[in-house]
Amino acid sequence: MALTLNVNGSRHEVDVAPDTPLLWVLRDHLGLTGTKFGCGGSYCGACTVHVDGNPVRSCQLPVSTVSESAIDTIENLEDRHPQLVGAWVENNVAQCGYCQAGQLMSAAALLDGNPSPTDADIDVAMSGNICRCGAYGRIRASIHAAARRRAAGESA
Amino acid sequence: MNAIANLSPNARPAADGLSRRNFLGVSGVFVLGACLPACAPTPQPKPTVVGTLQPNLFLALEPDGTVRITAHRSEMGQGIRTALAQVVADELDADWSRVRIDQADGDAKYGDQNTDGSRSILLNYDRLRSAGATARLMLRQAAANHWQVPLAEVSAENHEVTHAASGQALGYGELAGEAAKLPVPEAAPLKADAEHRYIGKEVVHVDAADIARGKGVFGADFTLPNMATAVVVRCPWLGGGVAKIVDPPQDEAGLVGIEVLDPAPSAGPVFAPLGGAAVIAEDTHTAIRIARDLQVEWTDSPNHAFDSDAMRGFLRAMLEQPGTAVPNAEKGDVDAVFAAGGTELSAVYETPFLAHAPMEPPVAVADVTADHCAVNAPVQDPQSTRNLVSEWLGYPPEKVSVTPTLLGGAFGRKSKPDFVLEAVELSKRLKRPVRVQWTREDDIRHDYFHAASAQYHRAAIDEQGRPTAWLQRTAFPSITTVFAAQAAMPAEWELEMGFSNLPYAVENQRMESAGVRPGVRVGWLRSVCNVFHAFSANVFADEMAAAAGRDPIEHRLSILPQGGKLAVPGMQPLEGHELDIDRLRHVVERVRALSEWDRPRPEGVGLGFAVHHSFRSYVATVLEASVVNGAPKVSNAYVVLDCGTYVNADTCRAQMEGAVVFGLSLALKGDIGMKEGAVVQSNFHDYPLLRMAEAPATTVELVPGQGRLPAGVGEPGVPPVAPALVNALFAATGTRHRSLPIKV
Repeated sequence: MALTLNVNGSRHEVDVAPDTPLLWVLRDHLGLTGTKFGCGGSYCGACTVHVDGNPVRSCQLPVSTVSESAIDTIENLEDRHPQLVGAWVENNVAQCGYCQAGQLMSAAALLDGNPSPTDADIDVAMSGNICRCGAYGRIRASIHAAARRRAAGESA
Repeated sequence: MNAIANLSPNARPAADGLSRRNFLGVSGVFVLGACLPACAPTPQPKPTVVGTLQPNLFLALEPDGTVRITAHRSEMGQGIRTALAQVVADELDADWSRVRIDQADGDAKYGDQNTDGSRSILLNYDRLRSAGATARLMLRQAAANHWQVPLAEVSAENHEVTHAASGQALGYGELAGEAAKLPVPEAAPLKADAEHRYIGKEVVHVDAADIARGKGVFGADFTLPNMATAVVVRCPWLGGGVAKIVDPPQDEAGLVGIEVLDPAPSAGPVFAPLGGAAVIAEDTHTAIRIARDLQVEWTDSPNHAFDSDAMRGFLRAMLEQPGTAVPNAEKGDVDAVFAAGGTELSAVYETPFLAHAPMEPPVAVADVTADHCAVNAPVQDPQSTRNLVSEWLGYPPEKVSVTPTLLGGAFGRKSKPDFVLEAVELSKRLKRPVRVQWTREDDIRHDYFHAASAQYHRAAIDEQGRPTAWLQRTAFPSITTVFAAQAAMPAEWELEMGFSNLPYAVENQRMESAGVRPGVRVGWLRSVCNVFHAFSANVFADEMAAAAGRDPIEHRLSILPQGGKLAVPGMQPLEGHELDIDRLRHVVERVRALSEWDRPRPEGVGLGFAVHHSFRSYVATVLEASVVNGAPKVSNAYVVLDCGTYVNADTCRAQMEGAVVFGLSLALKGDIGMKEGAVVQSNFHDYPLLRMAEAPATTVELVPGQGRLPAGVGEPGVPPVAPALVNALFAATGTRHRSLPIKV
């Protein structure tokens, strides 16, 4: 089935089965490998992307349901959230890094809707993302740091 | 070729060889120094020989000044690509911004590449310092020759060689070509610790920026033209093979084929694939979908009857009778003390099977041609993987390349490259590149599981809770059962992980072990047997303190020797890596201060303490915990680490923070069971891991250790976590949990 997808502001034509999860279209067909496969069951959040600004688990999302939507992935996150990406690097958040795209996408969606989240807000927003390396403390600190930088009008 | 005749800092350049005339003759330009009006230093001609300085395997300095450092250990989150480069760049005195990392493929020329056992820095610290220092000396020598000044007058700092007296300077890149013409000196002076600019400092990981932008290349991110993707349906029980594929799909869009892989023997050859039905497709989703729906009938095997509850009952039963005594570990006469009567304590502790569950499930890409095989995969030991692939294909090792990608977590799982051999076999059969992708269900069900275990501790204690006699027994399926069909008993090296090296002062002591052959593969997981041995010993010590009504840390200090090095049976540690009681006591004292142990906590909030020496490092941990809405809640964690010389202070802290989370996952959640040979759990809904809201705030203190031998960082933080939690919950609630995961 031929579909047109809007990913990171660009239009892409793909020919895939309509029930193909968005994750595999991004990875296998569009070469956008920043989004990761972690569980295939929406448990771990490694595959989190934004669909019309909302954080969703792409591993179970049939691609046919998002052909009308704006899809954003880790690959263009820095354009939209330079403070968040900057804080992530400076705080040396990632250990193995495999879950980090999903963590960043969940964090970005949180900040989009809540510019100054509390710890409790972060707990809720990040509850769907597992980090086996256990970088949670640094993830939390970096979300707070990005929020402060955005509030202060810093560019990164 | 010119020689660096004398490596002493005061040596002058060799009189012959690189004489001023023939050196400058290279450029064909000769400029005499002359004092300009302001008496500014006279610009000298730049060296005109352009080249790359590559004095050893680990370092290449390019003419543009780029320093390429080769990382020969695998990166799985422990920051080793950064740490290795820090060491080389420090002694080179390179500008960090001009350092690039190349990942080494598996090759014996690098020496040990087995990224396992928390020993990458230990094994490589000295040789990588020398690698950097050698290049730095050669750059200084090249500059000294060029300027016709004594080597001792030339210094190298931050990517530049300078001659202070004349004010001349040359960049490292400018000197690379001339330096490359010099012979490589056999030794080069190393910096003093105080001169280090990267070693011991906080350096952001070299891959951090790529990872935060989605650009890091992990196993599944590596692709080749015409690559197919395979998902293997494996028998639920170990040793079963494909009897029949019922109504195999045909002519499905994207399906390449279905291949039957033979099952591995029950033990050995090393890391042989489990076998099964491999569904190969043009894309991942098609392979996953068809594999999920594939109906396979399996051949039977003795492991089909395996039941983890039954095995764990057997472990408990074995603890009720004497096991095999650890040789040379017995002290005094335990039985006589017990027979004499007095206050006794005894307890049984139990831990379950665990799965590694790295966030990246096993995955590998292999491209086998008629005379070559290239593997790109997240493997902890590319060198042994290369040898296994070589044996598998019957190709000589030089016809096999194994290049590690970034590892999306490993924790020991990716030391066992069965998944690589699957890809190799399928690529060989299909004559095209094949990626084997494990699903999460594959990963949880077909792991090399961390062994379930049980320990029995019995002690006679005095009125201060100090043991006068201590008997401990451990029982677990040994990792050696995977490699040898007859193996059943725990190996000496497994007992040396927190069992036979119990550091307490007790006059009468005996240690006994027992084993069993399990019906699943077992394998090392981060911290290995230290996990359950530190758990039982630390909780039992806490029980001794409680029995005497004493403060747990005061009590613990009272049962540690006053100083000296621990005498251990069996394999003796390297000099400098003996268990140093003073260092052990120090981390205990420091965590008492760091956690403000003596500050009263609110009602219902308890502090728990544990300390453990493993992987040559010392870690003391205090957790602050309570029970909230019927569930354990850990609010704060305090960790003190003494790992001797450390390279990246921030990485050390990160590893302790992560170890707390890893340790809490296994203390509160991890539990793998097998029924009729099959693993019951399958994904993160029934094998849960700690999430953000459950992670405590963690404070880490590093013991200044420069000057001591470097020791492990990746693993030693994990063992104290579970016992510290049990002890904290006891302090909070009065209930003692002796089995993991903790069920409140």
